[in-house]
Amino acid sequence: MGVTREFSADQKQLVIAIKGKFDFSLVQEFRQAYSHVGETQPLIIIDLRETEYLDSSALGMLLNMRKSLGNSVRGIQLINARPEVKRILDISRFDKIFTIS
Amino acid sequence: MKILVVDDQKANQIMLEGLLTSIGHKVHCVDNGQQALDVFAEVKPQIVLLDVMMPVLNGFETAPLLKELSGDVHLPIIFITALDAKDTLLRCLEVGGDDFLSIPFEPVVLQAKINAHARVRELSYSLAQKNKTLKWHSNRMEREQAIVRHMLHNALSENELDKPYVKSFLRSVSTFNGDLCLGKEGPFGNYYLFVGDFTGHGLAPATGTLPIAQAFFGMAERGMSVSDMATEFNLRLLKLLPDDMFCAALIIELSPGGERLTCWNGGIPDALVINRHGQIEHRIPPRHMALGIVPEEQFDSQVEHLFVRADQTLIAFTDGVVEMQLADDNMLGERGFEKLLADAWQQGENGFATVRDQLLAMMEAKQQIHDDVSLIALQCQRQPPVRTEQPVVHNHLPFTLTVTISKREVMRLDPVQELVDSLGKLDALKSHKTTLYLLFAECFNNILDHNVLQMDSTMKDELGFERYYLERQRRLEQNEHFCVEIVIHYLPEEEFISFDISSNGLAPYSPKASTGKASESNEEALFGRGLQLIETFAGKVEWRAEGQVLHVEYDLSRPPF
Repeated sequence: MGVTREFSADQKQLVIAIKGKFDFSLVQEFRQAYSHVGETQPLIIIDLRETEYLDSSALGMLLNMRKSLGNSVRGIQLINARPEVKRILDISRFDKIFTIS
Repeated sequence: MKILVVDDQKANQIMLEGLLTSIGHKVHCVDNGQQALDVFAEVKPQIVLLDVMMPVLNGFETAPLLKELSGDVHLPIIFITALDAKDTLLRCLEVGGDDFLSIPFEPVVLQAKINAHARVRELSYSLAQKNKTLKWHSNRMEREQAIVRHMLHNALSENELDKPYVKSFLRSVSTFNGDLCLGKEGPFGNYYLFVGDFTGHGLAPATGTLPIAQAFFGMAERGMSVSDMATEFNLRLLKLLPDDMFCAALIIELSPGGERLTCWNGGIPDALVINRHGQIEHRIPPRHMALGIVPEEQFDSQVEHLFVRADQTLIAFTDGVVEMQLADDNMLGERGFEKLLADAWQQGENGFATVRDQLLAMMEAKQQIHDDVSLIALQCQRQPPVRTEQPVVHNHLPFTLTVTISKREVMRLDPVQELVDSLGKLDALKSHKTTLYLLFAECFNNILDHNVLQMDSTMKDELGFERYYLERQRRLEQNEHFCVEIVIHYLPEEEFISFDISSNGLAPYSPKASTGKASESNEEALFGRGLQLIETFAGKVEWRAEGQVLHVEYDLSRPPF
């Protein structure tokens, strides 16, 4: 349960994994995970493989992240979403503003 | 010693029996060869004194038959003879006699000969016993090996190295492979690969295969991350293996679309990403210690992400490949292998087969290999597998369930998650868990936020996202006596579930104010999205009882994705 963050060895990728439930109960943990991205303009990878539940507050948190990171990152990718989770992202048209793979 | 005296002359019998008994031997006397054969099994003599000339069966005829009865254990036969003709003596030895004694003799000579042959007999006996033990152990080991082989075979029956995009070449020094190569497709079409090399080869390292294979297949099935796999395998081997044993390992995950590799390398030679011309574009060097060495709290599970293209291939191998001996006794080496790879790939489509054949030729030339050899090629081009819908049978009981949630429950746990976790225990609802959670959570939060806590959606914009939730928390803590009621109807026959959510909140929700906002919402809007999602996933949503009850219907026959 919760959020884990890990930079790649070359500091060019920051992987944030969300396990279990993704909702407003993670709001601070999630914000901390993407704070201090450094000067390397890393690529942010949100790994959703273990995200089983999410609601609209999670979508809001993703949008907030995008807004607050702006150009300090190279991009944001949402990866490994289960089909059910991917469908929620697709219906919310997140594919237009994030790379979903 | 138990000694059998075979002589037709009573005088000789009495003389020999007296002499031998006096120096501590047990003696049994018979009159001819036939009697000797008859009593053999009962008397179990350890040495035989045999006369040559006897009625019924003479000494020459008896000796080979006695030897035969004695089987694997050496039975010393000393001929007692009055004759000293040379050819008789020779004949005694030819028919299997071990020694002879001519009458008359010095008692000390007899004693010396008996002692010498007793020693040989003892040696032979203990050798036979040892052979027996050895045979027993050998049988047992064969049987145990067969059992382990069977178990390993079954443990690896789930292995998916036979996918069209994977090619492998595996050879082991002994029956049991100390290298371990595993492949498995994950739940969202990702592909996992494990290449391991235990210290040593043979049975001992192969037993490490079992826990790793089980953990690997289980975790791959659940779509766990490479970093979690590394941590778990390390922990298992740390607990299991003796200090001087460990497992170098490379763990790889290829994303469903084949665009990304996630790698953890602990002690395996550089894995290579090559292009269609065999040129190396990336290296994945061992950045970590092998599995089973580093204690849990110091273990580094950091992985690398590589972006790859469809025309690229990942080449992973154990050190058995680069330590392959060439004709001149030099090792193939990493450079040598990379050149082999480049040359083979340049020749065209069948690069892997070419490399495999060359390695086989090297093995054949040397007649043996010194280490287990594993080579895997993983094509970075993937088509996510087509999901086949498993038909779900709704053979559950219909039910109506009323859940009343008061402040106590809201503060203590997540009531919606509890509820959906419980509903998800029903087979027919399991695959809808994520969607049901979304519906329940949105509706529950809507009722709680607006009807009970009197929060306005526009506050998300005014306060910002996080302060909205802080304000919500503050109001929750102040509000003592609220409760939210959820009534769920489940009709398995109709594949239908509906729920009504209401509260004892004072103000009825005014849907218009919010839906007006929702229609303006775009991708960037922070609110209104919730209701939009409910409307998309639910078959029917309506406010009943003048905005006091939110009624939602959900069609379970529709696939959840």
